[in-house]
Amino acid sequence: MKQSFANSISDKIIIIIIALIVITYFLFITVPILAVFLKIEPSQVSAQIRNAGIIEAIKLSLITSAIATVIAFVLAVPSAYFIVTRNFPGKTIIDTLMDLPIVLPPAVAGVALLYTFAPKGLLGPIFNKFGYIIPGSLIAVIIAETFVASPFLFRSAKVGFENMDRDIVNSAKMLSGSRLRVFFTVTFPLSIRAIISGAMMTWARAMGEFGATLMFAGNIAGITQTMPLAIYNFLYYDPLAGITLSVILIIISFSILIIVKLLEQKRFGAKK
Amino acid sequence: MIQITSISKSFGEKKVLGKLSLEVKEQEILALLGPNACGKTTLLNILSGLTRQDEGNIYINDVLVSGKACTRKVYLKPSERKVGYVFQTVSLFPHMRVNDNVAFGLKTLRLPRQEVKKRTESLLDFVGLREYATFYPSQLSGGQKQRIALARSLATEPQVLLLDEPVSAVDPQLRESFRLELKNYLQALKITVVYVTHNLSEAFVMSDRIAVMGNGHIEQIGNRTEIFDKPSSNYVAQFLGINAFKGTAVKANSGVWEVKVNGVPLLACLATNLSGKNVTVTIKPEDITLQQVSRPKRVLGAE
Repeated sequence: MKQSFANSISDKIIIIIIALIVITYFLFITVPILAVFLKIEPSQVSAQIRNAGIIEAIKLSLITSAIATVIAFVLAVPSAYFIVTRNFPGKTIIDTLMDLPIVLPPAVAGVALLYTFAPKGLLGPIFNKFGYIIPGSLIAVIIAETFVASPFLFRSAKVGFENMDRDIVNSAKMLSGSRLRVFFTVTFPLSIRAIISGAMMTWARAMGEFGATLMFAGNIAGITQTMPLAIYNFLYYDPLAGITLSVILIIISFSILIIVKLLEQKRFGAKK
Repeated sequence: MIQITSISKSFGEKKVLGKLSLEVKEQEILALLGPNACGKTTLLNILSGLTRQDEGNIYINDVLVSGKACTRKVYLKPSERKVGYVFQTVSLFPHMRVNDNVAFGLKTLRLPRQEVKKRTESLLDFVGLREYATFYPSQLSGGQKQRIALARSLATEPQVLLLDEPVSAVDPQLRESFRLELKNYLQALKITVVYVTHNLSEAFVMSDRIAVMGNGHIEQIGNRTEIFDKPSSNYVAQFLGINAFKGTAVKANSGVWEVKVNGVPLLACLATNLSGKNVTVTIKPEDITLQQVSRPKRVLGAE
């Protein structure tokens, strides 16, 4: 009796401790986000949205991140399919290298891109010959975003292709000699959720890109100043504008997460 | 008709098939029987072209589909071999309706739309599921799914049909009735069928002949009686659950030999003179009758 009483007391203490940990963590993540929203009123947001600097930053972010996502799609999805379906020497190394930008500090990515595309960099002279200077241009923003964000799509597409039921793909191969037809009618539709969720993550990451863009493209209003860079600028002389941009980015990020969650809930064609 | 000559296949270090040869007759239903991981599925995959063998040739209706002719390497794609394949797992395209699943192969044949529709309907009729044409696979039972998979594999009018444990995707309590249905379909088709199973009774029910597979090659091939009465090796006897005893052939009396097994005399039918040789005697469980006299009544199948 005494024993079980002691047990129930210690159980309760453990539950309370765990509850405290959970609540602390939950607040640690949500309070800062709430703090942004508390700093501004809806009427102020709608007033700020007419601010030319804000509109420019939003436009720039939307355009560059959309282009980066499309480029990522064109490059990463076929690459993921190739990596999953083929065996070749050095596959693991290449596969790991492709994921590197996910963990690489963005500042390092910026430096790496500079030493590649700057006029005196590795590939810079080639662009120079044709009269292009990449750093400090809109193209640099797109390159930085693609470099940092595309591995999310690559990874997700890889998981999608890997989880495909082999028998389903083989059934298609038995019936159709065209690889393209098998890919577009069976493999692709069955991995579309993984690919879309990867594309959404890539887009979100591209929208939020700061470090590599700052290092490689600079912070030039109207040319390379995307939303995160604009927030950084505004925060000193026009805090309300910075907060408005932050609110918009939080809403976009949160919406993307919800869409990704919904997509991941049910993946047909995946292994049971 | 299928002819497989001396096929070998290794995955890395692991040898899966070693110089396997097999002949399947025209319009025959051959069961490929063997324990799990003995290379049955690999053999089917090689036959279908999904996997390439390291050595050996495969002929389907006297056409070399994979292997070497003189010094020329031949490899026909799975879709060019006129082979249908029903897989072990339910492999219907989950994002397509039943009729689109069945029509998948027909569409590659570039037939007119009306013809595709007509053939799809007749295939659905064949497996008795026409009213399910607009359903998605997830709305069907395991047995229905495999019937659709069968219809889909038949769409391209294959000359050879491969089935890899098709019953295992069906709920256990419905397997018996599905087996009988499937057998009716296969007999009606009148094409060459290779049916992979690890289930003894299934092999006997479904097939005309049985090839017992083990250790990467065919241990024995024959009909039910041949295999049961004269298992060609210890492996086959063991797999079929037949008792096998090692002994020495002692003497013959008008074709019936006395074999000493641990000092106990057993009578066995031996075709050739094996006097003094070490032999293995097999006794089928159903041939054992218990009597008061402590002598076996009948002993069969020795070598």
